[in-house]
Amino acid sequence: MLKRKDQIYAIFVRIIFIIAVLCIWEYVARQELFGERSNLIFPTLEMIGSAFIRNFTVGYAGISFWAYIANSMKLLIIGLAIGIAASFILSGLSMVSKGFYHIFNLVVSIFDLLPGVALLPVIIIIFGIKEEVIVFLVVHAVLWPMSRNVLDGFLAVPKIYVEAGMNMGLNSFSLLGGVYLPAAMSYIVSGLKVGWARAWRGLLSAEMIFGIATCPGIGMFINQMRTNMNNAEMYATLVVIIIIGLVVQYGILTPIENCTVKKWGMTK
Amino acid sequence: MTNKILQINNLTMIYENNPEENAVIKNMNLTVDRNEFLCILGASGCGKTTLLRCIAGFEKYSGEIKVNGERKALPGTDRIMVFQDFNQLFPWKTVEKNIQYPLKKQGIKDKAKLKQLSDEALAKVKLTGYGHYYPYQLSGGMKQRVAIAKALALKPEIILMDEPFAALDAMTRNKLQSELLNISIEEDCTIIFITHNIQEAIVLGTRIMVLDKGGEIVIDEKNSIARPVSPASKGYGELWERLHSALYKNA
Repeated sequence: MLKRKDQIYAIFVRIIFIIAVLCIWEYVARQELFGERSNLIFPTLEMIGSAFIRNFTVGYAGISFWAYIANSMKLLIIGLAIGIAASFILSGLSMVSKGFYHIFNLVVSIFDLLPGVALLPVIIIIFGIKEEVIVFLVVHAVLWPMSRNVLDGFLAVPKIYVEAGMNMGLNSFSLLGGVYLPAAMSYIVSGLKVGWARAWRGLLSAEMIFGIATCPGIGMFINQMRTNMNNAEMYATLVVIIIIGLVVQYGILTPIENCTVKKWGMTK
Repeated sequence: MTNKILQINNLTMIYENNPEENAVIKNMNLTVDRNEFLCILGASGCGKTTLLRCIAGFEKYSGEIKVNGERKALPGTDRIMVFQDFNQLFPWKTVEKNIQYPLKKQGIKDKAKLKQLSDEALAKVKLTGYGHYYPYQLSGGMKQRVAIAKALALKPEIILMDEPFAALDAMTRNKLQSELLNISIEEDCTIIFITHNIQEAIVLGTRIMVLDKGGEIVIDEKNSIARPVSPASKGYGELWERLHSALYKNA
């Protein structure tokens, strides 16, 4: 774990970096360095700031931006929960049955390469334009990278832990929960990081391609702003997307890492 | 309960994809009495670790291994293995939880009872107060002590030790040897201990065996030197010579 001094240093350099980037941005915007399109490419910080507030107060189509965020998060959480649970179940079964392992390994390799949006036409035919499509895409985005990590993690468990577990009388399923799962924790944590990022991006792109009237989300909002040339609002939405990403990273994933693999001395 | 805690009849073990003449262990017969401390010496590749792994139930073999007259084919808590590798403790559990976990799996649910058992076991290996440490915070010698404590807490019929001190420095090794000797005298336990080190075998064992290729037993005798053994003990020199020449006769 970082020492206090290192932590303060890390925060300090990051703040300096962010301020520098914002200064350059503002300079480019004020000088209109990109000619007449400059306001569209680089709106001033003031424009983005007021658009940020307008997003939440006025919103779009009579719906506040909060509602769009809530809709996106709802679909995201459902998809993540299904995807993560499925990856554990399927990877677990792969460790119990050799045949299942070979098949699942192939399936993961195939589907991990397929972009979710490429599947979109098929999924829309199956489900229609409904919330299920987005959930399906989120599951697709998280399931394969997560399974790859969990599988690799299970395979990398040192033989001595498994034998020590067997010596205690653990067998297939108790061995899975008692030894394989905690021993593979560093792989699982990195799987969560990759899986969550893929899911978040998959969700936004799906929402941008088609919006669902009953459940409009952040991606749809950003697309509407683009259509109407409200570029400051668009940037303000990107800021929100980044903020949500950072909150998940530092508010959820880092604490998970700190109270497992870091605490156990399994990573630095 | 019979006095013969372990009976091995006609044990043969061939690793997968090997021809029969490459058997690691060929037709071995061995009987171990209750409370014996059997030290097995042998050059690398003589099959001593394989023998231990067969007894522990980690390998498929032909022949018969009986503990207390019952045939054993699968691993179980009646035969606990202490490995050479320092990383045999689960890094995700504290020292205390490492000891308590197998006890819990055996059906002891009462927290106070578990705490009492792990404290007792830690006291036996002189690690009182280290219960809340994680394994990565311990030295190699301390990890091996915890592994021994974990084995003792389970009260197995046989403790199988596969060169547990081989990776330790000489001083720590001597210290752990004398502690293990005291434990084996005070506790009611049968130990099979594998080593490359002749001094270790003479200091610890009540019975000493030397294995040759294919698990052939070339020496098998009771250790009659009065304990605690030191190089100045009567008979130490002759025994050392005898074991040494048997061990190095092919070298």
